[in-house]
Amino acid sequence: MMNAYFITEKDFKNFVSAMVQSLTVIGPVAKRKKFVFAKLESAEDLRLDYDVTLLPPKKEFFPPSQDMVRFEKDKYEGCISPQEKILLGVHFYDIKAIDMTDRLFREKNEDWNYLANREAATIIGSNIQTISERAFWGTVGKDVPPKGHDGFITKINGGYVYETRGDKGEALVKFGSFAKATDAQVKEARAVNENVMGKCPEKLNRSSKEIAEKVRKAFSKEAFWEALAEDCFSCGSCNIVCPTCYCFDVQDNWNLDQVSGARTRYWDACLTEDFAKVSLGGGATENFREERAERFRHRIMRKASYLNEKLGGPACVGCGRCSAACTSDIADPVNVINKIMEA
Amino acid sequence: MAKAKVAFFDFTCCEGCQIEMTNFGDAAFLELLNHVEIVEFREVMSEKTKEPIDIALVEGSFTREADRKRLEEIRNRAKIVIAYGACAATGGVNALKNHMTDYKEDVYGKDAGMPHLDSQKALPISAAIKVDYCVYGCPMDKYELLRILSHLLHDKEPVIPNYPVCVECKRNGTICRYQEGDHCIGQVARAGCGAPCPADGIPCEACRGFVDKPNEKALKKVLIEKAKFSEKRAESKSRIFSANLRSDAQ
Repeated sequence: MMNAYFITEKDFKNFVSAMVQSLTVIGPVAKRKKFVFAKLESAEDLRLDYDVTLLPPKKEFFPPSQDMVRFEKDKYEGCISPQEKILLGVHFYDIKAIDMTDRLFREKNEDWNYLANREAATIIGSNIQTISERAFWGTVGKDVPPKGHDGFITKINGGYVYETRGDKGEALVKFGSFAKATDAQVKEARAVNENVMGKCPEKLNRSSKEIAEKVRKAFSKEAFWEALAEDCFSCGSCNIVCPTCYCFDVQDNWNLDQVSGARTRYWDACLTEDFAKVSLGGGATENFREERAERFRHRIMRKASYLNEKLGGPACVGCGRCSAACTSDIADPVNVINKIMEA
Repeated sequence: MAKAKVAFFDFTCCEGCQIEMTNFGDAAFLELLNHVEIVEFREVMSEKTKEPIDIALVEGSFTREADRKRLEEIRNRAKIVIAYGACAATGGVNALKNHMTDYKEDVYGKDAGMPHLDSQKALPISAAIKVDYCVYGCPMDKYELLRILSHLLHDKEPVIPNYPVCVECKRNGTICRYQEGDHCIGQVARAGCGAPCPADGIPCEACRGFVDKPNEKALKKVLIEKAKFSEKRAESKSRIFSANLRSDAQ
């Protein structure tokens, strides 16, 4: 069921208020001069004019640390306990990323620690009103449409167009004074979303397919990767802020009583030195990506090439979070990819 | 199963890491006593022991050759030796003097020649004896100590991070100090603390020391280019807690 509604600016605020009063609503809110996804306490907290959030919304399904099993002596139980929540105001690039992690956590062994949270969520997108300094979503993975969300809000003159995509999105209509959108309003919303695509400060100049092929061929250019990774701290910031990174490490910890505890997973980062360190048994270990240039290369390969067949496009959505998070400013995929394409 | 016998010892330090242990509060500390027997801990008890011990928690850096014998004596009767806190693990803030020659006059003035003030380079205790594990930090993180102790009590290998503080700041959703026009050396600092300082708007000083392979060159570059440090300040910045881990360690 796909319907288009219109709501005035003033009624929109009441719509958000009504949802906040009876549902758990997660949306972009200000954190000093930046933005984060957080639980809305009131409609005033919602900042649909945000540029990009520090962490992507995947944290709502796949938190930075997540208990998987709790145990006490020989008893144990899983920790899956999904909470229904509304993610409101997700930009289209993060919607694309959530669709990717949905697929990655579903393939082979279904990961219900993620999927249960995901299925309990309603995702409502919103158009981009402010463009972040490192954004390049206008030119990355253009063949990959945003999907998997339940509705999308676009700010137009005098109010918002709300397009629903199925029952979950439709179920929110009752919280506001919506009218059917006119054709002109739907057209205006479409234009708003199309026009913003050309406005990113950074651009890729080739198709995903061309990029995937040429990046893959650059694998053996060791001097090239070493030069790019020279200032890499192996700090993993580019991974941790990435909306499509999904690696985690699992640790067991005991409580103070020494008989109870939890098995917990934590976001991991393939740029860090020990990521690829594996046990050979008997205390011996092997690190199969020991050099920082190898790890730097691995990330670019994963984002621009390795996962393309599985995902239908690159595992990068152009949010620019990695570029902004890298203190050496070497993580920017646009810089690396354009260098490879121009060589 | 008999409780593991645990003893605390101190060398060149402020004993703040031992005090930090008592900051657990009654409930946590008393619960811990159900699982270990503390046989020497001069901050909280007067008893001492010369008996064999299971876990020795050794605080303080090794700054006097005369201390070697006592360290060896502890090593010889301890099954496991843990370097307890920054001074023991890396030399800590004491190692700030290692690249200087005039520190005694500077600190003690006319008393600089007194024999009890004589000390050499501040080194981690691993410079004198074999160390099995380190609890990093100034002060050490009591929750990390608990994790290490409970792993040892369960005969498991404790996991001590070799990734930088940036990982924890990012997981926490903390705004990077550099994005607020500040400086930070969390990119080279060993994580495990949970990154509380940047979360409170304070740059990381790497009190837990460096990760195994810190990119010192890139750090200097970023401190100059992004934090607008002078070359001299950028060069010496990481010395505060990590003098012995730097490539120019004396």
